[in-house]
Amino acid sequence: MPQTQIEESIENATPQTPEVRLETEVAEVPPPAPTTEEVERPAKTVTARNVNLFYGDFHAVEDVTMTIEPNKVTALIGSSGCGKTTFLRSLNRMHELTPGARVEGEIAIDGQSIYAEGVDPVQVRRVVGMVFQAPNPFPTMSIYENVAAGLTLNARRMRKAEKDEVVERSLRGAHLWDEVKDRLDKPASGLSGGQQQRLCIARAIAVEPEVLLMDEPCSALDPIATLAIEDLIRELKKRYTIVIVTHNMQQAARASDVTAFFNLEEAGKPGRLVEVGPTEKIFTSPTEQATEDYVSGRFG
Amino acid sequence: MGEPTRVEYHAELRDLEEHALEGLDLVVDALDRTLEATRNQDAELAQAVVEGDDALDGRYLEVHQRLLTLIAREAPVAGDLRLISALLHVMKSMERMGDQCVNVAKMIPIAGSDPPADERMLENIAAMGLQVRSQVSQAKRAFADRDVGLARDLVRQDDIVDALNRECFQIAIEIGDEPDRREWAMTMILVARALERIGDNSVDIGEQVAYVVTGLFREFDDASHPGAAGAAG
Repeated sequence: MPQTQIEESIENATPQTPEVRLETEVAEVPPPAPTTEEVERPAKTVTARNVNLFYGDFHAVEDVTMTIEPNKVTALIGSSGCGKTTFLRSLNRMHELTPGARVEGEIAIDGQSIYAEGVDPVQVRRVVGMVFQAPNPFPTMSIYENVAAGLTLNARRMRKAEKDEVVERSLRGAHLWDEVKDRLDKPASGLSGGQQQRLCIARAIAVEPEVLLMDEPCSALDPIATLAIEDLIRELKKRYTIVIVTHNMQQAARASDVTAFFNLEEAGKPGRLVEVGPTEKIFTSPTEQATEDYVSGRFG
Repeated sequence: MGEPTRVEYHAELRDLEEHALEGLDLVVDALDRTLEATRNQDAELAQAVVEGDDALDGRYLEVHQRLLTLIAREAPVAGDLRLISALLHVMKSMERMGDQCVNVAKMIPIAGSDPPADERMLENIAAMGLQVRSQVSQAKRAFADRDVGLARDLVRQDDIVDALNRECFQIAIEIGDEPDRREWAMTMILVARALERIGDNSVDIGEQVAYVVTGLFREFDDASHPGAAGAAG
């Protein structure tokens, strides 16, 4: 598909087509419990179909098929090396940045393949934002410039007033505005770890993506800052589709609507999706014994 | 998957289950003494049943507290969470069954030491006692073995208790107008009622077995139908 076409389709935030709905149904993901929270902006559905991921000859992830529901938080859990982060990175074409890495199968956003010929990976990453494990603001830039950086990088020319508005909206959206509004011109390095991570979230949402990927976003934060991010995640799902990789199972239990458990049978084998379902079900009565053993901490 | 982890937590959970299910053995003991006291109109033994209930209450409080500690400290999930939830229910049922034994024991001095007004009523109550005793043991076995079939069978077993209970009610209706006999019959109705409740509690435990195993909590069909509980139930 020509690049302009996918950009257009993504930009326009078209509602799900009947074909996409059908895909959702055949993916056999039990519907998550309905959320009572209000959806402020319908976000997009991500579908993975028979996805295999490789680093050179190494088969890292095998045959993942799942639907990531819009305006829901989907948690990917599993032990180290099970492929959950690799899978996450494939959802915005970051996986391919590793030399020798490749992807087989299909990943689509509202039915539009992100790996189709002619699709610009940079454009995909604008639509599918990423928040990393350690907060990584640009240390010498001011708080304001950090948030605006995404806008600048995406080469959208913007008047100052418009930019001010986007920065404020993004900082408010990241629950950070009240804490930094009087020091927007100060370096981001002066913020606490939790604030820095919320700044990175503000930077990610400044470009109004459809999907937010979060790779262990709280692993470098203290418990209170962690809970603040979890509250923020619950808020953000009203506008975005969220996928979070976490090693903290209680975090998955607290913050997600859907949980996907990845596992590998033994070292050297590819990781695979064992079970995906409503978080409530995964943590009370999972279907697979391997899921049961993992979530109840029976095996390390 | 590597080495087993959280070894102490799982050992504590196993120990708690054992401790909780032993509580059902205490119920069986209390029931034995209660039935013997009823049969022999033994007020002294009845008093011992009342006093012995402290052991059941103590077991209830201890296991309950330890279960809450596990929830607070270990954040159990999945099968462990279902087990803990079920054990909380089992302990509540155990405590209630102990209380029903006390209720029966307290009736014994009221029933007096005169010869029983109706032998059939006493036979029925003895049969109910044996039946619910067997059900409590069966509930324990079903739980320990995670045997849903055995748990479901408790519904069938409990139908026997319900039928005997209805008979007791009928006997009381037909016992005549003489005030002492009627009072005795009323007392025996209360005894039968307490035993019938113990039967229901054993079915409740059976439902928890099904929940632990399947993850689905449903009352067993017949248990919640008013028609099955009988006129006095």
